[in-house]
Amino acid sequence: MHIVGSNKKRIWLARILFLLPVSLLFFFFFIYPFLFTLYTSLTQWRGIGAMKFNGLANYGKLLADATFRKALKNNVVWALSQGFIQVPLACLVAMILVRKPRFWKALRTAYYLPNVISTVALAMVWVAIYNVKGPLNAILHALFGVEKLNWLGNPDVALFAVIFQTVIYIGYFMIILLAAAMNIPRSYYEAAEIDGAGTFRQEWHITLPMLRGTLVTTMTLAMAYGMRHFESTFLMTGGGPAYATTTMGIDLYLKMDALRYSEASTVGVILILMGTVVISLIRILFGTSDPMSETAQ
Amino acid sequence: MEKRKTILSGTLHLLKWILLLFLLSLALLPIVWLMISSLRTNLELQTSPFGWPRQFQWVNYSKALHMASLPRLLLNSVTVAALAVLINTLATSMASFILAREFFKGRDVLYTIFTAGVLIPVISFMVPYFSLITKSGLYNTLTALVLVYASVNIPVSIFLVTAFMKSIPKELEEAAIIDGCGFFKRFSTIILPLSRSGIVTAATFCFIYSWNEFVMAMLLTSSIESRTVQLGIKFFTSQFITDYAGMYAAVVITIIPSVVGYVLLHNKIIGGLTAGGVKG
Amino acid sequence: MKGKRFVVMALVLLIMVGLGAQGQKDPGVAKEVELRWASIWVGNDSKAPAVEELVAAYNAKNEGRIKVVIEPQPDYNAYEQKVRTSLAAGQVPADIFTIKLNPTTATFYQSNLLMDFNKVMDGAWKATFDAPSLAQSEIDGVLRSLPMETAILPLWFNMDLLKKVGVNEVPKTLDDMFATFDKLKAAGIAPTSQMTGDTNAWTSMIWFSHFAVALGGPNVWDKPFTDKAFVEAAKLIKRMITEYSTSDAVGLGAGGSGGHFLAGRTAVFSNGPWYAGRADLAATPFYDSIRIAGLPDAGPTKDFMISRLQANICAAATKDKAREEAIVDFLKFLTSKDSITKIAETSGAMFAIKTDFRPTVDLKRQFFIVAEGAKATASDLEAALGAEVTLEFAQQLGALALGRISAEEFCALVDRKIER
Repeated sequence: MHIVGSNKKRIWLARILFLLPVSLLFFFFFIYPFLFTLYTSLTQWRGIGAMKFNGLANYGKLLADATFRKALKNNVVWALSQGFIQVPLACLVAMILVRKPRFWKALRTAYYLPNVISTVALAMVWVAIYNVKGPLNAILHALFGVEKLNWLGNPDVALFAVIFQTVIYIGYFMIILLAAAMNIPRSYYEAAEIDGAGTFRQEWHITLPMLRGTLVTTMTLAMAYGMRHFESTFLMTGGGPAYATTTMGIDLYLKMDALRYSEASTVGVILILMGTVVISLIRILFGTSDPMSETAQ
Repeated sequence: MEKRKTILSGTLHLLKWILLLFLLSLALLPIVWLMISSLRTNLELQTSPFGWPRQFQWVNYSKALHMASLPRLLLNSVTVAALAVLINTLATSMASFILAREFFKGRDVLYTIFTAGVLIPVISFMVPYFSLITKSGLYNTLTALVLVYASVNIPVSIFLVTAFMKSIPKELEEAAIIDGCGFFKRFSTIILPLSRSGIVTAATFCFIYSWNEFVMAMLLTSSIESRTVQLGIKFFTSQFITDYAGMYAAVVITIIPSVVGYVLLHNKIIGGLTAGGVKG
Repeated sequence: MKGKRFVVMALVLLIMVGLGAQGQKDPGVAKEVELRWASIWVGNDSKAPAVEELVAAYNAKNEGRIKVVIEPQPDYNAYEQKVRTSLAAGQVPADIFTIKLNPTTATFYQSNLLMDFNKVMDGAWKATFDAPSLAQSEIDGVLRSLPMETAILPLWFNMDLLKKVGVNEVPKTLDDMFATFDKLKAAGIAPTSQMTGDTNAWTSMIWFSHFAVALGGPNVWDKPFTDKAFVEAAKLIKRMITEYSTSDAVGLGAGGSGGHFLAGRTAVFSNGPWYAGRADLAATPFYDSIRIAGLPDAGPTKDFMISRLQANICAAATKDKAREEAIVDFLKFLTSKDSITKIAETSGAMFAIKTDFRPTVDLKRQFFIVAEGAKATASDLEAALGAEVTLEFAQQLGALALGRISAEEFCALVDRKIER
């Protein structure tokens, strides 16, 4: 690209112009609130009156708090399950659908549906499904003779139960992967077919490598959502029993509920820091998603 | 050899459909349950969550339309979601173009800052958002919700759109530059159309968020003129009593536009795109 | 060309949004004072129709002078969130709004944004309120909220089910009660609707409060939670959950707990007067057979009732005299005997303002009779100790019921959350 004098200036002007709308909105709705949150996390403040500067005391207090540590652990489980179970499953489904089996359009729409249903209604369905006398136990008992479990009332299985229900949101990640998979030029597959490569080898050698960047993006998103998770668990269990399903999001909400604003902010800041570490780890593990250099070899 | 291959592919075929149908049943279960439940009475719902209506309670639907003034709220929701999606996709596709296809110092830092936003539990931003909106005089306006929804979705959209724009082969753009295409033309005639499916995906997510969001809508509005359907749904939840049947009827009504919107967006835009396939 | 159009469009959009920001309403050109009331008594709340009528009547009477605008607030949790968020942002959520007064929300009393009613109330107005409720709403000589709605939290007996096992009266003593429960159990009926879910383990929290007050007296909440009364109460509530409730009690939410009672699967329930106004309860075959009562004698304290302030009214403090007068005028109207009677008639709710009103529906009337018959009243755990303690109580109640912690450990855990 040959850029000369005044042209260079114009390009910079254009770049700034293009970045301006996002930057403005981002400043007001992310940077400023984040700084506010960061500051309150360093104070003692119950929502009313002046903030008293408190240094890192909230952080120390939080890390020593058993409930918070439990929430932290649950968050890791949430993030891992979303990133390494939910996304691969979504990828598998996307790889099936991209080959346009029968009814694929209808299936795609159906998988998307749960995303637009109010969480309140969904929570009520799952509470009923997981009940001791509910249909899940009835099916498991009839099929495998499994002992009836109080899925949401047993601290040993409650976390699994609230995480399992997210499988219905699989369509969310599938949409991203499907859109990316559809962008893979068909000629690649045609060439492979001529070489005699079967479906599996085509998926392994073409689809997966081509989807790598999108997979990293999707996993990052999934893990971020997993860590931020709050609503459906809160509606189903309130974080219990005995904090078995409390996430950092729930902890944060309940701290605000108790007017512990500075502690809530501290949870928020730790959540963001943790997430940054996770995102960086994914990037290191799976390589940066910069196909500008990859595909243009 | 041939035979073993057909048995293998047969089993795979079967497994594939078992997976697809299992997920399908999981996805459809809530909506079917919701539709049936919206025609039952509250007593039926409270005492046995799974069951067929003893008598179809169509009255739930007329209650839903009446009490929650759903038509007005639906209109507001459509307006808010459409504008939020428009602003969000316009702004983020412009920014993503720079972040994905231009080289300059600090680009990756900028990208990391924008995308780190996906980690933010927006609920912890309630106090600053409330200050921001009330001090700018936007309290109780649709504009407030449009701005918040468009902004909250910036990180996700940048994430997705940048990833799609980065995956476009460099040769395409270089060919255009040789043809004498300028900055704007590169964006509008090459990058934008080729990353259309990514932008539509981002738009879909922005739409889902704007359509389902409740906490901010409740916080930032106070009258029917600027409220959205999610608040209408909550109208069936008062301090002590929840009219679940009426609420589910309202939920069913509100799902319809979002499904129609999805089908339109995807089947028309992405569908049209992939029908011809992208030439590499 | 296309690119330029795109940029222009984007700019125009941004400007439009910017213009929207300017479109602010200019405050009152006319002399009429407009009062915004962030009201939770809307939608299908049983107080909504009467409140709406009262406001309309008030507005008609004061046309050109004062206008009260109801800002509907559905979903109580979200409403509470809105109140605390706006106060934290240094603003009042509206000119008039309500709070549930407990040690957590008492923090709001430190805010100068709220009107101190002690400064505007005369003796005559004060005399219309129930004195203990008014006293409870005053903290350090400041009265930043007026008690409006109150509630008692008694036990509900489905006498149809009790009669099935040959019991015709509400049990008088704890032994009587357990004997009845054993008979119910033998007949395949779960005696009570316990729960440990949500953030307050609501119905079980009410039972626990009854036990604790019976064993430790009306001032039990001032004692450390490790007190013997609480340990014994914890043992009793554990017994209720593990032996005398449905199998899904651990982790169950208020909806599930109420659902069991509505379905006639459980014989004894616990909740406030609002539950009596539910259409689904009225549709049950046993509606007329429900008896409302206190806890059978379980300890030194007898014939008491658990009660709480359910909704206190707050108002925005203002330097504008006309505005302050308008707020006081409207609140005097709203808390007048006539207005309260009207709201009580249609809702069955109970109020901190004295009226002669008694409901005609038997179940609702029982609440008034039980409340008046009580020799002493005491708060429930949530009203007495606030949100954090209640949360810990609910979370650890599950662990207690599952036998993962002892009653002593349970009490010690809850005790740590009490601020002194």
